[in-house]
Amino acid sequence: MADTHAHAHHDHGDHGEHAHHPTGWRRWLYSTNHKDIGTLYLVLAIIASFVGVGFSMMMRLELAEPGLQFIHDQHFYNVILTAHGLIMVFFVVMPALIGGFGNWFIPLMIGCPDMAFPRMNNISFWLTAAGLILVALSTVVGGGAGTGWTVYPPLSNHTFHPGMSVDFAILSLHLAGAGSILGAINFITTIVNMRAPGMTFHRMPLFIWAMFITAFLLLLALPVLAGALTMLLTDRNFHTAFFEPSGGGDPIFWQHLFWFFGHPEVYIMIIPAFGIISQVVSTFSKKPVFGYLGMAYAMASIGVVGFVVWAHHMFTVGFNVETRAYFIIATMVIAVPTGIKIFSWLATMWGGSIEFKTPMLYAFGFIFLFVVGGVTGVTLSNAPVDMAFHDTYFVIAHFHYVLSIAAMFAIFTGMYYWLPKMCGKMYNEKLGQWQFWITFVGVNILFFPQHFLGMAGMPRRIADYPDAFAGWNMVSSSGAVVSLVGALLFFYILWDTLRNGAKAPANPWGIGATTLEWTVDSPAPFHTHEILPEIKAEPAGHH
Amino acid sequence: MIKSRWMLFLFVLFSAGAIAAGAHAEVIGAPQPWEWYFRTAATPVQEDLIWFHDLIFWVEVVIVLFVMALMIYIVVKFNAKANPTPSTRTHNTFLEVIWTVLPVLILVVIAVPSLRLLFFMDKAKNPEMTLKITSHQWYWSYQYVDNGGFGFDSNLIPEADLKPGQLRLLDVDNRVVLPADTEIRLLMTSEDVIHNWAVQSFGVRLDTVPGRINETWMKVPAAKIGTYYGQCSELCGVNHAYMPIAVDIVSKQDFQRWVEQAKTKFASADDAAPMKVVQAETQSSIDAR
Amino acid sequence: MDQTNRLKEQQRGIRLTVAGTLLFVSAMVGLVAVAEPLYKLFCQVTGYNGTPRIAEGQSSPGGVAETMTVRFDANVNREIAWKFKPAVNQVDVRIGEEMLAFYEATNTSSEPLVGTATFNVMPERVAPYFNKIQCFCFTEQVLKPGESVQMPVTFFIDPDMLKDQYARDIKTVTLSYTFFLNQDQSKAKALSATQANYSN
Repeated sequence: MADTHAHAHHDHGDHGEHAHHPTGWRRWLYSTNHKDIGTLYLVLAIIASFVGVGFSMMMRLELAEPGLQFIHDQHFYNVILTAHGLIMVFFVVMPALIGGFGNWFIPLMIGCPDMAFPRMNNISFWLTAAGLILVALSTVVGGGAGTGWTVYPPLSNHTFHPGMSVDFAILSLHLAGAGSILGAINFITTIVNMRAPGMTFHRMPLFIWAMFITAFLLLLALPVLAGALTMLLTDRNFHTAFFEPSGGGDPIFWQHLFWFFGHPEVYIMIIPAFGIISQVVSTFSKKPVFGYLGMAYAMASIGVVGFVVWAHHMFTVGFNVETRAYFIIATMVIAVPTGIKIFSWLATMWGGSIEFKTPMLYAFGFIFLFVVGGVTGVTLSNAPVDMAFHDTYFVIAHFHYVLSIAAMFAIFTGMYYWLPKMCGKMYNEKLGQWQFWITFVGVNILFFPQHFLGMAGMPRRIADYPDAFAGWNMVSSSGAVVSLVGALLFFYILWDTLRNGAKAPANPWGIGATTLEWTVDSPAPFHTHEILPEIKAEPAGHH
Repeated sequence: MIKSRWMLFLFVLFSAGAIAAGAHAEVIGAPQPWEWYFRTAATPVQEDLIWFHDLIFWVEVVIVLFVMALMIYIVVKFNAKANPTPSTRTHNTFLEVIWTVLPVLILVVIAVPSLRLLFFMDKAKNPEMTLKITSHQWYWSYQYVDNGGFGFDSNLIPEADLKPGQLRLLDVDNRVVLPADTEIRLLMTSEDVIHNWAVQSFGVRLDTVPGRINETWMKVPAAKIGTYYGQCSELCGVNHAYMPIAVDIVSKQDFQRWVEQAKTKFASADDAAPMKVVQAETQSSIDAR
Repeated sequence: MDQTNRLKEQQRGIRLTVAGTLLFVSAMVGLVAVAEPLYKLFCQVTGYNGTPRIAEGQSSPGGVAETMTVRFDANVNREIAWKFKPAVNQVDVRIGEEMLAFYEATNTSSEPLVGTATFNVMPERVAPYFNKIQCFCFTEQVLKPGESVQMPVTFFIDPDMLKDQYARDIKTVTLSYTFFLNQDQSKAKALSATQANYSN
């Protein structure tokens, strides 16, 4: 949208609102401003990541050698693996990608002053924050929840987890889920109704498309989780028997409900990442996105098909062969739109004039490692092969390649890309590139050997393992150390940018950055797009 | 450095152990140090599974290398220095059709053998014997339903009690003994939470679910007589890591001999109390109440 | 003037969109609220999870030439101190023929206990053809301390199975029961109360 005319002027006039926007702690607690709330979400994700990553480091430390060295209580190991999963999914990846970048950049990119429901936005955030506190409590009250993030009954029922820990975890997800549903309603309403004049659906940046589709997935998936959790809660506390065989219930029913939510959930985490990568690839290639419509509809079809593949997480529960055959086919279908996305990114870069700045390096790394993690997904989608891999480290390797690596890379991409806009200062490019390479090497050493462990049959969720698995576990743990260095360096860069960063121009990325957020000052003023920009040209990639 | 020497020591220990355990069957299905591939396959199912995995694997390797090659080309040719003026091309219908249709074709190539293997591994044609497996927190119990109905529990050997050659976290006090060249039906259920009976060399991995029975099958040829190991593969609580599976596959004759011994060894006193027949109720009679 | 019109239009749009999203959410909530009965119905209709047909009040269609082996399996949950086993391990039945089999249960504890049984058949493919006419699993069973009972099951296998190309080559089917301690032990309490009265 190089030829977009954005008539946004920020220098004129005292608006009434300017006079009395709160300062100090009130500014954050009562915040209704989409940028402040976005910042709050990002801060929440960073705080949660200290805990979530801390737990994973504890696990890798214990797993470095066979035998129990540091964690002598297996239940404690189960508790931290559960908390690691819940925190990383619900309180790191989702708040960062959806709450953080979504709140910051949906209004900026579609050209409206704020979200449709600023106060509801505030509630969404504080529900999520309360959820984080509850999930943290669930690790300490009542002995801790050692159920895995999947919370399968009967292990999670009152008999096997008598304390309050699982109830805390359930309530935590209830709160975070309610927050996300409200957020999704806000996103959809904003995107549908408040686009600047001239910005038709087919002119929206792909990041907006991604958030729009994600919001729908949230809307459809989270009520199912909430319902299932409520049933589990009543099973635990009020003697119902939804999942209790002794009362005529079926534990497998939980797995169906959970994965009906759980599979769309993985797309909830990765589709926003697709959106960010599309923006960054286009910006740094100085080219519009290749096959814009194909990209948008590929995301939409991934979202739709994502709802009908859930039982591929349950290939070993013993359901009939025809059902498994269906879920194999349906799951493999997802590879097609995913392939369209990968090849469209490559085609966007093809013929481009690419500047490999840190965000682009991360986007580049994302594409390659998402392909690596994606193809093992095709392996796992085949139920016969899943007979060898289900619940082994191969699965761990697969989903950490697409989540820990790909989704985290997308978060890093977005942070480096939008940091100048969010705080008005430039990060240190050299340090940023170092940070990328350290992280890239670290996560690969960390997760690639886990494929081998899975091939050899090492089960997941164990703190001690047969001695033969020692070698690759040591390699994996040393990769964890390297990744940790990368993560710490990122926090240093963040601190360094805020403290010493050079002043960022409105558009630090040059002619490739065509979306509306680059037309406003850096840092983006408290109020933006109060006079609506007008989009007169065809959007990126739609000539 | 220290680490690798230690690994070598472990390896030597294992090999020595394997020889020392000569009295027992040869260990075939155990994980090896630095293993990066499947354990030895013992059943036709697992052999097919490995073949099929390798097919998918090489297809995927080609895809990954292809993407990698494109990306290297992009780095070299289309960096800002090499190519200062970006093109503005955003469409190529031919390409877009190709990269939609080609993956579909590749998936069809994968799906056909996948489904064939799926249906093959699903059910036995005519099993000759049945092994009933029940999981508990945290041990397995096995019942030889067709061989006199005896059964026993199989517990992990604690680290302190390991004899030379026994594998830590894998060896158990009572191994399952099963005949070679025999189609065996495996019936599984659980007494408490969900566990999973997984022995990779057999291509068997099935959840044990409380309140229901699950069924699968296995058949090991006589050429693959030996000992196989597996572990519980569904998080089942505190001692999830401590309920391994060890299976001795023996010849049919050896199996008969073992059964005779086992019948006395694992005999259980069965009390015969007077029985009365209860009147079974139908759903309608309950509804009528 | 134009601006106010635009805002009015926008407000209307926002109201409509919110209504739409709320509709989505409530539809999903509604769906999950009825998911449990739907799941049970689905299992019963399709034989999913190995759920056999309940055919009480029906009579068997009469035997055909083909036979099949029916195996009986029994399990007891750890919370209930019962012994429970089939009277025989397996029987050969003619397909379509009505068959009566027995299970035996003993209360090995020193107090009366109420048990309920869950059941399924494997291979799952046979489940929709496996018709149970009479069964103890439909109801709570109360056993006095030390008491043993025989529990009958009447069933037949629907000859339609022979028309199902995926099911007709299955020669053996396993019928499995698991006894659980019923959450409602009031019947057991009533029993011990009456016994206490007798002894007084």
